[in-house]
Amino acid sequence: MKMDDLAALMPKGPVTASPEVFQQLGAITRMLHDTLQQLGVMPKLQAAADGLPDARSRLNYIASKTAQAAEKVLDLVDHAKQEHQRIAAETRTLAAALTADPVRAVASGRVMNFVGDVEARTRRIDQHLTDIMMAQDFHDLTGQVVAKVVTLATELEDSLLKLLVQVVPPEQREKVEAQGLQGPVVDAGTRGDVVKDQTEVDDLLASLGF
Amino acid sequence: MSNPADLKYLIVDDFSTMRRIVRGLLKEMGCEKAEEAEDGAVALAALKAQKFDFVVCDINMPNMNGFDFLKAVRADDTLKHIPVLMVTAEARKEDIVLAAQTGASGYIVKPFTKATLEEKVLKIVQKIGAAA
Repeated sequence: MKMDDLAALMPKGPVTASPEVFQQLGAITRMLHDTLQQLGVMPKLQAAADGLPDARSRLNYIASKTAQAAEKVLDLVDHAKQEHQRIAAETRTLAAALTADPVRAVASGRVMNFVGDVEARTRRIDQHLTDIMMAQDFHDLTGQVVAKVVTLATELEDSLLKLLVQVVPPEQREKVEAQGLQGPVVDAGTRGDVVKDQTEVDDLLASLGF
Repeated sequence: MSNPADLKYLIVDDFSTMRRIVRGLLKEMGCEKAEEAEDGAVALAALKAQKFDFVVCDINMPNMNGFDFLKAVRADDTLKHIPVLMVTAEARKEDIVLAAQTGASGYIVKPFTKATLEEKVLKIVQKIGAAA
């Protein structure tokens, strides 16, 4: 259930702040607090709420770490592709020179220059590949952080749902149900409302006449 | 409009990494002319400021999401002819149907391959070429 939906359950119009209302609110708050304490919800909710700033910093950490890794890898791929293209171009040039005049190509040192150049470039490409491999360390680091944030979010969701069930009127309780989060689907295999791959997207579009 | 390499592309995604990946894939397909926009609002302004032939667009973006952008493009007489290929992590069927009903030219779910992007771009370009 979204916050907008929750707001719809609240009374419409201005609230009259008479002393009787304050008294009733105080009594309800006390009753709610006692009920929450009995349910054991409050300490758990408090712990989850305390963890929120930490969760924000953890999520920021994931965002920056993954962005850095992605940028680094793309830069390295660009460099490696440039080296590769240069080798390919020089190979074609040398092949043409060897075809035209093999003796001159060797005697002029073009062949040895080419060999030395290829060796240097492949060494740099190998370094780029190693750096790309090393840049993947973000996966391990962020994976651990994600696991902690998921645990925190699960606890918070659990506590809030218990709290919600306690505070909404009985006739509204059936409307209080967990709904899926926006964004990438992570459990497509168990859900009927999402597609599992591009083939299903194409099939669905085809059924619509696309 | 029959050769994808001759077209000018606008890549719309709030993640610079994804914009760069799509741009790189288009480049490997021979499509060198491409610009980027970080959300629908920026993309709409770009479309009005200069000529683009093809849009590759994400859905979940701040300011103006992909659906609102698509609606705005289709509602504009000067822009509505431009093909818009949605490339998104949204895999819900209702989103795909909504995209089709709103006027998307194609729909790709992330993660995707170069082959998928190439196939969809080519298909859309051929379809438009045949209709012209």
